[in-house]
Amino acid sequence: MIVPLGHVLLFAGLLFVAGLAAVLLRRNLIMILIGVEIMLNAVGLVLVGASAYWRHPSGQLFALLLMAVAAAEISIALALVVYLKRSRGTIDVNRFDGMKG
Amino acid sequence: MATLLFYILAAIVLMAVLLCLTRNNPVHAVLYLVHALFGLALLYFLLGAPMLAAWQVILYAGAIMVLFLFVIMLIDPDLFEKKASRGRFRWLPVGFLSGALLACGGVLIMMDPLAAGGIVRYRLSPRAFGRALFDEYGLAVEILSLILLFAAVGAFHLGRRHKGKEDAS
Amino acid sequence: MMGELLFLIPMLPLCGALIIMFAGGRMSRKLLAAVASFSVIASALTILWLWPLAAPQTRVSLFDWFEAGALRVPVEILFSPLSAAMALMVTGVSALIHLYAASYLHNDPDVRRFFALFNLFVFAMLIIVLADNLLLLFLGWEGVGFCSYALIGYWYRNPGFAAAGRKAFLVTRAADVLFVIALLWLFRLTGSLSIATINQQATSLPAGTLTIVALLLLAGACGKSAQLPFSSWLPDAMAGPTPVSALIHAATMVTAGVYLLCRLFPLISLSPTALAVIGLVGTATAFYGASCALVQRDIKRLLAYSTISQVGYMFLAVGAGTVTGAMFHLITHAFFKALLFMVAGAVIHLAAGEQDLFRLGQLQKRAPLLFWLLLAGALALAGMPLTAGFFSKDAILVACFALNSPWWTGLGVVGLITAFLTALYALRLVYLLAADRDVTIGHGPLPRGMIWPLLPLGLLALVGGQLNLPEPWGGGTVLQRWLQTPSGRGGTHAIEWGLAIVTLLLFVAAWLGARYRFRTLPMPPGGGVAAFFTDGWKIDALVRNAVSKPYEATGRLLDGFPERWYTAVLPDWLGRLCQSAGRYFRTFTSGYVTHYLSGMAWGTFLLLAILLIGLLR
Repeated sequence: MIVPLGHVLLFAGLLFVAGLAAVLLRRNLIMILIGVEIMLNAVGLVLVGASAYWRHPSGQLFALLLMAVAAAEISIALALVVYLKRSRGTIDVNRFDGMKG
Repeated sequence: MATLLFYILAAIVLMAVLLCLTRNNPVHAVLYLVHALFGLALLYFLLGAPMLAAWQVILYAGAIMVLFLFVIMLIDPDLFEKKASRGRFRWLPVGFLSGALLACGGVLIMMDPLAAGGIVRYRLSPRAFGRALFDEYGLAVEILSLILLFAAVGAFHLGRRHKGKEDAS
Repeated sequence: MMGELLFLIPMLPLCGALIIMFAGGRMSRKLLAAVASFSVIASALTILWLWPLAAPQTRVSLFDWFEAGALRVPVEILFSPLSAAMALMVTGVSALIHLYAASYLHNDPDVRRFFALFNLFVFAMLIIVLADNLLLLFLGWEGVGFCSYALIGYWYRNPGFAAAGRKAFLVTRAADVLFVIALLWLFRLTGSLSIATINQQATSLPAGTLTIVALLLLAGACGKSAQLPFSSWLPDAMAGPTPVSALIHAATMVTAGVYLLCRLFPLISLSPTALAVIGLVGTATAFYGASCALVQRDIKRLLAYSTISQVGYMFLAVGAGTVTGAMFHLITHAFFKALLFMVAGAVIHLAAGEQDLFRLGQLQKRAPLLFWLLLAGALALAGMPLTAGFFSKDAILVACFALNSPWWTGLGVVGLITAFLTALYALRLVYLLAADRDVTIGHGPLPRGMIWPLLPLGLLALVGGQLNLPEPWGGGTVLQRWLQTPSGRGGTHAIEWGLAIVTLLLFVAAWLGARYRFRTLPMPPGGGVAAFFTDGWKIDALVRNAVSKPYEATGRLLDGFPERWYTAVLPDWLGRLCQSAGRYFRTFTSGYVTHYLSGMAWGTFLLLAILLIGLLR
C-alpha cells in the first residue's frame, strides 16, 4: 500500500460529498446524474483501496459489479431524461412537483 | 515517488470534479468528468488494479460519457454552440488538466510500479481477476446480466414514441 | 331408565314449536293447530303416565350444560310432588287453551307464529317448573318472558300493542336483574346453583344475608307475578290475544313467581322478616288489585287487575307459611281465571271486538251456556261457599289468623276486606254482562271449539275445592298429603268455622250490594276518584315521575357537559389539531426530488454522527 488507507478514504469522501452537493444543489437533471456518477466512483475508489489494504480480490470485483450496475442505472436514467424532456418539455427538477402532498 | 504521484493524481481528480460540477454547460461538464474518470483509472492502476483501470477507461470514460453526450445532443442540440464560454484563456483549465494527466500517465508507464519487485506489493493480474470473478461471483455476474437486460428493455420502452399518446403523463 | 322419559315433558312442546317454525309454512291452518295442541296434550299425558315417579322425588340429569371451575350446571329435572302437580296444571290448562285458541284465531293470518310461540311458551314454563337448577330455571324464566313479550305484541302493527309488549318486557327485566343478583349471591354463598343444595345449606347462612337474598328473590318474583312495585305491566299486557291473556297472564306465567318462592321456601322461611315483607306485599297487592278491578270498564283489564289481586293472595299464603295454601290457590285460580278469560274472549267475539263492559249485555239471552260458565267462574272468584275459590282463599286466611300475631291478624283482616271487594267486582261483572241493554251484534254464533274447552274448567272451578278440603269439612286434604309441603300452623276448628261464616256473610253482603247497585241499568263510573282507581292508582304516572323523569333529567344534564364535550367539542378540537398539523407537515412533501434527497442525506449524516460518537466513546 503506497499511501495509508485513511488518505484514500478521505479523498473518496471528498469526491462523494462533491457529488452529493451537486445532486442536492444543481437543478439540471443531467448535472444531477453526473453528480450520481461521481458518488458511485467515489465508492468504487473505496472498494479498490480496501482491496489493496486487505490484499484481497473481492474489493476489485465489487468495483466491477458496481460499474455494471452504474451502467444499467445510467442507461435507464438517461432514457427517463429523454422521456421527461419529451413529455414535459424541461429537465429542470424544480419544475417537477408531481409528488407534492 | 509513487506516493507523491498518488497525491498529485488525487489533486487533479478533485480539481476536475469541482470544475465539472460547477459548469453551466453540460457538455463542458461531461468533458471535465472524462478527465476525472481518467484520473481515477490511473489511481486504480496505482492501487494494484490494472484490469479495473482498463474497464474504467473503456466503460466510464468511453461508453457512459458518450451516452451522456448523445442524450445532451438529443434533448438540446443548440447547446454545443450557444452556451460556449467566452474569453481568451477558456481552453486553459482543460489544457492544464489534460497535460497533467498525460504526464502522470507517462511517469506511471516509465515507473512500471506493477512489475515484480515494484513498489506496489499487491496487484491483481487480469488472469487472477477473471478467475476470482467467475469462480466466486458467477451467480452475481448472471444476476447483473439480467439487470442489464432489464435496463435495456426499460430504456427501450421509455425511449419509444407513443403514437397518439404524447404527453400522456 | 324410566327417569329419562321425564325429559319428554318439556321436549314435546319444544318439538311442536320447532316443527311449526321450520315446517309450518306448508301446513294448513288446522294441521298447525293440531300439531300445537297435540304436543301439549301428549306432554300432559306423559306427566300422567310418569306420575308414580313423582312421589319418591325422581332426579334425572341429561347432560352438563356447562362447567367452569366450581360452577357446574347440569340440565337436570326434579320430578317432585310439587313440580309434578304444577306441571300437570300447566299442561292441562295449556292443552284446553290451545284447543280454544284454534277456534279463537280461526281467521287470523299469522296463526303459525302464534302457535310456535305458544308451544315455545309451554316449553319454557315447563323448564321453570321442572328445573332443579336455578340457572336452568332462569333460562325458562327468561324464555317465558320473551314469549310473553312476543305474544303481547302479537298484533304488532298496532303501535300501542307493541308498546305494551315492550313495557312488559322492560318491567319484568328490571325485576329479573334483582333475581340474577340473588342467584349469583346464592352461588357465592353455597357454591352451588342446585335448588336442593341451596335449601339444605340455607340453615348455615347468616340471618342478615339470608333476609336480603330472600328479599331479592321476592323482587324477582314480584316482577314476574306483577306484584306491587312492578304491577303496572299486566293490565297493559291485555293487548295480546285473549288465549294469551288466559294462559300466560292469568294461569301460568304470572304464578311463576309464587312457584319460585314455593320451591325456595326452606330458604325463605328461615327469615321471619322476609316472610313478613312477602305477606305485606301480597296483601297490599291483593287490596290494590281488587280496588282497581272494582271500577274498570274494559272487561280484560278488569280480569287483569283481578289476577294481580289473586296472585297477591298467593304471596300472602307464602308469607303466612303455607306453601300448600299458595299452591292450592294457584291451581284453583288457574282454573277459574282461565275460564273467565276464555269466557271474556267469547263475549268479545260475540260483540265484534267490543270490550267496554257498559256496552255489553244480554249474555244470558244470547248465549245461555256461556252465561252459566261465566257465573261458575265469577262465583269461584267471589269465593261463594263450596266453590273452589272459597276453600283456597279460606285456607290462606286461616293460616294468617292461626299465626296469632298482630301483624298477621292485621294482614288477614285486610285480606277479608279484599275478599269482600273481590266478591263485589266479580258479581258486578256478572250483572253488567247480563244487563238488559242494546248491544252490538258480532261475528255470529260462537264456534263450538270455543265452548267445550270451557266445560271442564267450569266444573273444576265449582268443585276444585275437593282437592284440598279442610278437615272440619270432612275433607281429605288430598293436595296436602300429596305435596307434603309446609302448610303453616293448622287452624283450630273455631277459626275455620268462624272464618267460613264471616266469608259467607261478606259474600252475601257483596251480593246484595251488587244487586242493589248494578241490577238496574247502571251508568259508567265517573269523577276523579273513579279515574284514580281505573288507572290503577295512577301507578304509571308515579313510576314516570319517580323513575323516568329523573332519568331523563339526568340524561339531559349529562348530555350538556360530558356527553357533548366528549363527543363533539373535544373530538372537534382534536380533529382541527390533526388537520392543521397535517397542513403543516404537508409542506414537507414539496414534491421536489431534491428536498427528499437532502432529507435522506441529512438522515445519513445524523446516523453517521451517532455512529461516530459511539465509536469515540
